[in-house]
Amino acid sequence: MIEILFTISGAGMLVSILAGARAPKLWLAGVLVGAMGGFGAAVAALVTGVVWDWQGALTLGGEAVHLRLDAVSALFLALLSVVGGAGAVYEREYWTEIAHPRSARSGRVWWSLLLLCLGLVLVTTNGLHFLIAWELFTVSAYFLVTLDRERREVRAAGWLYLAASHVAALCLFAFFTLLAVRTGSWELGGMRDHAELAPLFWLALVGFGLKAGLFPLHIWLPSAHSNAPSHVSAILSGVTIKIGIYGLVRFSGWLPVPPEAGWVVAFLGVTSAVLGVAFALGQHDLKRLLAYHSVENIGIILIGLGFALVAVGQGNATWGRLALAGGLLHVWNHGLFKALLFFSAGSVLHATGTREMSRLGGLWRVMPWTASLFALGAVAISGLPPLNGFVSEWLVFLGLFDATLAHGPSAWAAIPAAILLGITGALALACFVKVCGVVFLGAPRSHAAAHAHESGPAMRGAMIVLGAACVAIGLAPVVFWPAVLRAVDVWNPVWVGAQTPVALSSLGVFHVALAVLAFLAASWLWRRAGRGGLTRALTWDCGYVFPTPRMQYTAGSFAGIITEWFAWILRPVRHEHRPTETLPVSARFSEHTPETVLEYAVEPAGGVVMQLSQAARRLQHGRVQAYLLYLLIGLAALAVVVLLGGDK
Amino acid sequence: MTLILDLILRLAVWLLLAPLLPGIINKVKAWVACRRGPPVLQLYYDLAKLWRKGVVLSTLASPGFIAGPAVAWVALTGAAMLMPLGPAGSALSFRGDVLLLIYLLALARFCTAWAAMETGSAFEGMGAAREVSYAVLAEAAIIAAVLSLSVQTGSVSLVTMLSPSAGAGAVLLAAGLFTVLLAENCRVPFDDPNTHLELTMIHEVMVLDHSGPPLAAILHGASVKLLLFAVLLVQAVLPMGELPPLGVAGALAAGVLVVTVGVGLVESLLARLAFRRVPLLLTTAFLLCLFALLVAWKGGAK
Repeated sequence: MIEILFTISGAGMLVSILAGARAPKLWLAGVLVGAMGGFGAAVAALVTGVVWDWQGALTLGGEAVHLRLDAVSALFLALLSVVGGAGAVYEREYWTEIAHPRSARSGRVWWSLLLLCLGLVLVTTNGLHFLIAWELFTVSAYFLVTLDRERREVRAAGWLYLAASHVAALCLFAFFTLLAVRTGSWELGGMRDHAELAPLFWLALVGFGLKAGLFPLHIWLPSAHSNAPSHVSAILSGVTIKIGIYGLVRFSGWLPVPPEAGWVVAFLGVTSAVLGVAFALGQHDLKRLLAYHSVENIGIILIGLGFALVAVGQGNATWGRLALAGGLLHVWNHGLFKALLFFSAGSVLHATGTREMSRLGGLWRVMPWTASLFALGAVAISGLPPLNGFVSEWLVFLGLFDATLAHGPSAWAAIPAAILLGITGALALACFVKVCGVVFLGAPRSHAAAHAHESGPAMRGAMIVLGAACVAIGLAPVVFWPAVLRAVDVWNPVWVGAQTPVALSSLGVFHVALAVLAFLAASWLWRRAGRGGLTRALTWDCGYVFPTPRMQYTAGSFAGIITEWFAWILRPVRHEHRPTETLPVSARFSEHTPETVLEYAVEPAGGVVMQLSQAARRLQHGRVQAYLLYLLIGLAALAVVVLLGGDK
Repeated sequence: MTLILDLILRLAVWLLLAPLLPGIINKVKAWVACRRGPPVLQLYYDLAKLWRKGVVLSTLASPGFIAGPAVAWVALTGAAMLMPLGPAGSALSFRGDVLLLIYLLALARFCTAWAAMETGSAFEGMGAAREVSYAVLAEAAIIAAVLSLSVQTGSVSLVTMLSPSAGAGAVLLAAGLFTVLLAENCRVPFDDPNTHLELTMIHEVMVLDHSGPPLAAILHGASVKLLLFAVLLVQAVLPMGELPPLGVAGALAAGVLVVTVGVGLVESLLARLAFRRVPLLLTTAFLLCLFALLVAWKGGAK
């Protein structure tokens, strides 16, 4: 059955690639058929647990095409299908031919190619084909990021993305080539008994970690995700960075890992989680803020994976399974709510033309759907019950608590990780109260915000689908649990059959009760308030009669207390012109948080390399005499080496 | 049937007794200051009065302004249902319910802060910012406290975590949790519920624009939260495991009373801190809980 579904899916994607430029409706149909086929195949693999293995007679680059769909691949494929399909529907209204005559056509083709190559990365079991598909999806993502390439910052973001992606690709080339050399074939699969392959994990960590955007390898992520069109941001944040996670999960399951790997991954995870959200708090650009939250959530996923690796090292199945299951479920959850948030942010951008939070405000009045769906996503990403974000964070927490109770060396890592995960949750809550309050509540801060409009049915429909998925995982986690456990069992077959006592059904019952009662209480209170007589009056401002929108609390002030605590790494840049005279004429204040790692580490290092290259360039001037001299010096040096080292 | 009866009784205990605590605190404060003070049942009168009143809404407020307090109230009541009451246990208990409880408190915080941001007032924004920022440090302290209880009892479920006798780090834990109680419930020295200057408030300034039934929901929810923290503190610290059920119930009630009087005394005897010192005190609370955790680990852990 999976074979048929994949054939349909592949045919749909090919049709959409061919039709993308000319026939947008056919393109949409193709993408949706492709997504549904992929989703069906993934669901079939996750429900039945059957591993689909297919070897074709076709060869590519001298290697036979070999595809395999197991639970780990299917987990990521399901996410790809949902977000890819929803994004295509969203695109039809967001990036129309009328608004973007130059890029709408190519955007559609690149979108299809991106989905197809991402799918291929997930199902291929050949190192060479993996690399080809990887490179193709990286390039398609580059063209999608730079669809609006007339703007300078978009080109800069695209360039940074391309450069970072190719550093990652370089590591992966080395990784797969060394793997192929040592095993004698490009075929991939379980080889945990080859202990000599363990050091290759570090190459994979850098390569896949760059793609996943873990701190401090995230430098390309904020600018690429914020400057891309919003449906592209959604799939980049929701799915492509998860492909980095897929690589780490896949190859830490298939290959042996060094004993320190788990600790390092867990440490990187905790760092990414806390610093990602700290940087997010310092942002004033709505989409850039969401991009930093991706760093945070990748951190949470890596905490799960890291502790699972530690558990493998210590031979403890219970908490390792819990932590990994939490991490994998968070892959789904983050993919869903982050895509939802980017769609909503795109809806705001579409309606107001700005991503600056200080120019927005009061949007709930004109965009009630977008505001409600963004609020739903905000509750989910803050990890609050009864939505899906809480379920996965709860599982990771349980894993960490059990690791503490195990009383081994793992406890020393689990205690700080649990505390910092709690801090991350509280910081994310602070950040999303800020975003919701400043963007959607209060009074509009600009003309554009006051005259915004709600988005149409296509954009709204895509958001509703993702929102519904978030609610479903939150209210009925039991339904999704077996699928996640199946992926965990594929990751480490040794754990198959181990008991994982999780009270997900109790949690689900509580969540349903909470949701129903919250709804009832809210409507009751609304009715009660209306019965006593609703009077509208100005907001209380200490008796001030003419409050203006500019007197509202800003995003920067809201986050001020926390950004102060993190100033050591955020290094906010302030430009201020304080009022001095008794009757001041003008005063100004502005603040922005740079990408610290990029500006204080990568760029200076790049500058040094450039200077060295400039110096080396002086040797190359085109004078034949000097070149002859170089030759002579080289020969003489060789002679010296031969003479001195000749005895050995 | 017994399940429903248990649930109703439990709700009655939590919802009816909670408004008593602020009354007791005010009585203690009045007693220390040699005043007569408001009656102990004052909050009940206030709630009844507010419930009958009409509502004045800010012109900027959305329906979320009223939904926020309602959802926060449900979240706090739900958290109370998870909290065991001595011999009666809790309404629903499972592995990891303690984390659900912590995150329900966070949900309540999200909703209150959301409702505060509705009005577009700088004062309320300020209050919401303080509330969510200081909660970050309080959250760290609570997680450390929960970890120490968890290590001490070898369990991740509230009923077993809170039932046996207190561990070696009880004093440290008591000090840490009491400080967190003061911070989370906006009492002196973190916040002054009686202050009259909007600029210096945290919780009170967030609800400036609320009136009528929504304000009643907020005030009642706040009292449930105070009772919740008092019950948590008493059960975490007091060695009640060996007493007969009635004795446990009595000890629990007495303990809650002692905590409440303690809050009243702190409010009478201490001035509130400058805002820049608040993080220091919260960090101290976190460290106390962390040391309790280390003691629990090195000491008689199971």
